[in-house]
Amino acid sequence: MKKKVLATLLTAAMLATTLAGCGGGAAPENEGGGVEAPSAEEGEAPAAEGGEATAADEGGEASADDAAAEEEIPTATFGDPNGTHMEMWTFVELHGQHYGNMVEKWNEENPDRTIEITCTTYPYADMHTKLLTSLNAGTGAPDICDVEIGQFPNVVAGLDTWLVPQNDTAAPYLDTMVQARMDVYKGSDGNYYGIPYHVGATVMYYNVAAMAEAMGISNDDVIAKIDAVTTWDDYAALGQEYLDAVATDGKYWTSVDTAGCDWQWIAMAEYGEDWTGGMDGTANVQLDSVKKMCTMEQEWVNSGLAEVSPDGHVDLEAGFQNILDHNIVSFPKAMWYMSRFTNYMPEEKGNWYIAKCPVFEAGQKCSVGIGGTGTVVTQQAVDKDLASEFLCWAKMSEEGEQLIWDNLGFDVCNTVLWNDDAFAHDDNNQYNQFFINYPYDVLYSIKDDIGTVYTTAISPTINEQMCNVTLNDILENGVSVDEALQAAQDVVDLEQ
Amino acid sequence: MAETTSVKGKETMGMKTKRNILSVFATVLFAVLSFLIVYPLFAGLIASFRPGTELIRRGLSINLDFSTMTLANYTYLFGNNVDGHKYFMWYKNSLVLMLVTVFLTLLICYIVAYGLTMYNYKLKNFLFFLVIATMMVPFEILILPLYKEMINLKLVDTIWGVMLPGLCGASTIFFFRQYMTGLPKDLLDAGRIDGATEYGICFKIMMPITKPAFAAMAILCAMGSWNNVLWPMLVYRSAEKFTLPIGLNTLLTPYGNNYDVLIAGSMFGILPVFIIFLCFQRYFIEGMTAGAVKG
Amino acid sequence: MNKFKKFFYSQKAAPYVFVLPFILSFLLFWIYPLCSTITMSFQDITPTGTEWIGAKNFAKLLKDTVFHTAIKNSFQYMILTLVLLIPFPMFFAVLMDSRLVKAKGFWKACLYVPALTSVVISGTLFRLMFSEYPTGQMNVITAALGLGTFKWLKMKATGLGALLLVACWRWTGVNMLYFISGLKAIDTAMYEAADIDGATAWQKFRYVTIPLLKPTTVYVLTISVYAGLAMFMESYMLWAGPDSPNNIGLTIVGYLYKRGITKNQLGYGSAVGIVLLVIALAINIVQLILNGTLKKEEN
Repeated sequence: MKKKVLATLLTAAMLATTLAGCGGGAAPENEGGGVEAPSAEEGEAPAAEGGEATAADEGGEASADDAAAEEEIPTATFGDPNGTHMEMWTFVELHGQHYGNMVEKWNEENPDRTIEITCTTYPYADMHTKLLTSLNAGTGAPDICDVEIGQFPNVVAGLDTWLVPQNDTAAPYLDTMVQARMDVYKGSDGNYYGIPYHVGATVMYYNVAAMAEAMGISNDDVIAKIDAVTTWDDYAALGQEYLDAVATDGKYWTSVDTAGCDWQWIAMAEYGEDWTGGMDGTANVQLDSVKKMCTMEQEWVNSGLAEVSPDGHVDLEAGFQNILDHNIVSFPKAMWYMSRFTNYMPEEKGNWYIAKCPVFEAGQKCSVGIGGTGTVVTQQAVDKDLASEFLCWAKMSEEGEQLIWDNLGFDVCNTVLWNDDAFAHDDNNQYNQFFINYPYDVLYSIKDDIGTVYTTAISPTINEQMCNVTLNDILENGVSVDEALQAAQDVVDLEQ
Repeated sequence: MAETTSVKGKETMGMKTKRNILSVFATVLFAVLSFLIVYPLFAGLIASFRPGTELIRRGLSINLDFSTMTLANYTYLFGNNVDGHKYFMWYKNSLVLMLVTVFLTLLICYIVAYGLTMYNYKLKNFLFFLVIATMMVPFEILILPLYKEMINLKLVDTIWGVMLPGLCGASTIFFFRQYMTGLPKDLLDAGRIDGATEYGICFKIMMPITKPAFAAMAILCAMGSWNNVLWPMLVYRSAEKFTLPIGLNTLLTPYGNNYDVLIAGSMFGILPVFIIFLCFQRYFIEGMTAGAVKG
Repeated sequence: MNKFKKFFYSQKAAPYVFVLPFILSFLLFWIYPLCSTITMSFQDITPTGTEWIGAKNFAKLLKDTVFHTAIKNSFQYMILTLVLLIPFPMFFAVLMDSRLVKAKGFWKACLYVPALTSVVISGTLFRLMFSEYPTGQMNVITAALGLGTFKWLKMKATGLGALLLVACWRWTGVNMLYFISGLKAIDTAMYEAADIDGATAWQKFRYVTIPLLKPTTVYVLTISVYAGLAMFMESYMLWAGPDSPNNIGLTIVGYLYKRGITKNQLGYGSAVGIVLLVIALAINIVQLILNGTLKKEEN
């Protein structure tokens, strides 16, 4: 008996020591750069690939390089070791690298106020819980932190006891920024607490190549038809034309979302409504715009024009696969979705065209800023002013915006750059290469048509109810729009 | 094994055939059941030899298509790269947590159970009632206040924060107590006559004869610790401290799932418990079932 | 000092020293959190301060339809796991205990293996199998049978079915082992006596096995009730997070987690915890009464 017990412990201990050896990280078993890596970027936090990796056509090889490039635990320190040290947390590794690049530039320009920054990448949910915990505890929070817009209300709830207002440091950049994007990261006291990366303007993505093939016409003819689309009716008609031509089961014009509210947001922006009621209004999900959109989606699903997105929305593996299989050939999504194409669907290069979204009535706004990450400076920062100044510069100056576009593939908030030829028409940019047209041309054309839906304290509740229950009821279970929205309103009312 | 036919001589030919048919039927039933139960793991094992992208394209299927099967996921996992390092860091964390937890839990639960069994004193029954009481409240109810408590005690993100609340596991104490109730108490008096202290008796005389209970509980405790998710997920915050299940869970993100590492890592993660199970199956069963029979 | 030492080594003090860790742990990690859960449930805890709000959290729970869904789901799941995870494992155990089955050890091991896997692993495997994409294993099977494909994890019935399947997959073997050891404890003389009385196999099962297996059944029942009510990780893994379509996978603990942890509403989350506590205690009392265990304790 004794021996057996001992043996168990020994086995376990031996396992432990062997593995400790393996996992020590230091073990420098250099096998050269070419570690066999099966499409590593598949899981890498995402947004976009490094700008230098020329459009990853051969997925496997490009990723092998990636894997070899990142040899350490996802924490990276950049800048001047003698400068002010700052901790930065993010949930997207590439965001961290952005600050790394920017800190080097900052130190060149400001040799008297140099910075050293350590960027740590945590998983999405963990980073936000960890941030809340440490803000609550009053210790352990980083100097600078990325906060995803959906989580922002939780963080901004602490106002200036938790976060540093950035009104003064942001002021120099404000006149060129999309004001609406600054507003979404405001606190209830009216201060700016978060600095945005992008507008997240929604546009329509069309698979021109697939449409041309099915309809037997040239790409240019398809593009002409797409450009002629103004209203949702036009859009549905074009879809019907495509479906009549393709005449195959399992093919749809678009897919509507049950686990995302993008479509509803577009509708609200078009009618200038907002279900949160703004910063100090009362939330109301029973808006005409929302009803109209839900009704239209429901009709489309019933008529076979649209399917329900597999797994609920297009920004998931099943969604990518659905697009790759050409089961759908058009969908509206924010501009940051471009990076999903380059990362997950490289074989679609040259097939897709970006256009503005249709509207319900001509003359309406046709886009809305969706998603986003606001970066905050916490009250626990070592040098609050320096951190805030650096952050605003890194995210809003032209240098910063250039890197954001090249590396992260975002539609930057600095409107001046949108029709700057060198910036928007740079043919070395992988996104400009990937799509048939220049993304920024579309963005510039809708410059004045981008609406805003706020993210407030009630937003998580609305979002949760819509994505978990309401949209499923409407699109999957055939519940009437009025009934489903009434139920949603009841839940929302409970929280306000 | 008292069965339908305890007196063999009386078996007729007809009964024998009937028995044989029943036997085939029963064995086939278990074969089918076992197949169904092992199937998902087997499918996972096969999937771990396929590129992660294939998972969505092809799903979890057990079609052995060797043309798409490679060792790439495993070479990647064991290779010198960031995912591999993370993975073995989690592995190491899980092992360390498991060993420390098992050691401390057994030690503490043993002495508590000893105190609850070997002496007669006023509060004995009351204390035992408290042990039972803690079993009656699901742990999940306490996660919010415990979580807050851990923050206040500055134990968040430490191995102590993960371990401490569970060290006095009521069911483990209960098991030890059940086991020790059956031990002869004369040994205590004999020890005292030989001049041993109360503590000496506990550790030097009684502990060795409780070994079988230790073996059973060790395995159960190890398994629990290895597979525990909810509490460590709350307490651990730093990526470098994550245990295997939490780490694997972080590979699923809103920004893309790392199925390559996830599936291969999951399969490799089952290994240690599986090996221990194969070697010490008997104790496993003993430990798991002791409460059921005596409770 | 010497006095103290003497006392420390005395037979009177020793037992208290032995149980001290339990008392500490009991106070620190049970009584204190339990009390603080009760206090917190009457508070509104925000980053900017804590406020006593009386029974408002509970009043809100009464109106909270999402919470009602969670309770309903937990109970449905708990009851169905009882239906599935007690009779079947008992039946398998009786078969295993008979001489009918060949290669027992192997089947036992196979059935037990799932209990060794972490929920994270089993949940992920089952999520992939129940994927709504046509390549998901379940869809491959139903398509082959000519039934078409389903959105398994989007519908109440199939979603619950998937959860139950995970539960059965993980626990059938374990419960079977419980029953086997229960059977082993039954005196063979009982069966021999039954044989002499000319009892059929069914009669023996009904009048000997079932009554004598009662302690085991009660044990399995108790842990199943608790595990069923407190289920969370299974659903968390199956839907890759605390959210599920139409809340079909939401459980009481899931709601507690969502409110208390994800949304940082400790007060409201604690109120959810208190409801669960009350349910658990009620079940306990019912069970104690039914088993007449209360009487035994008095002796």
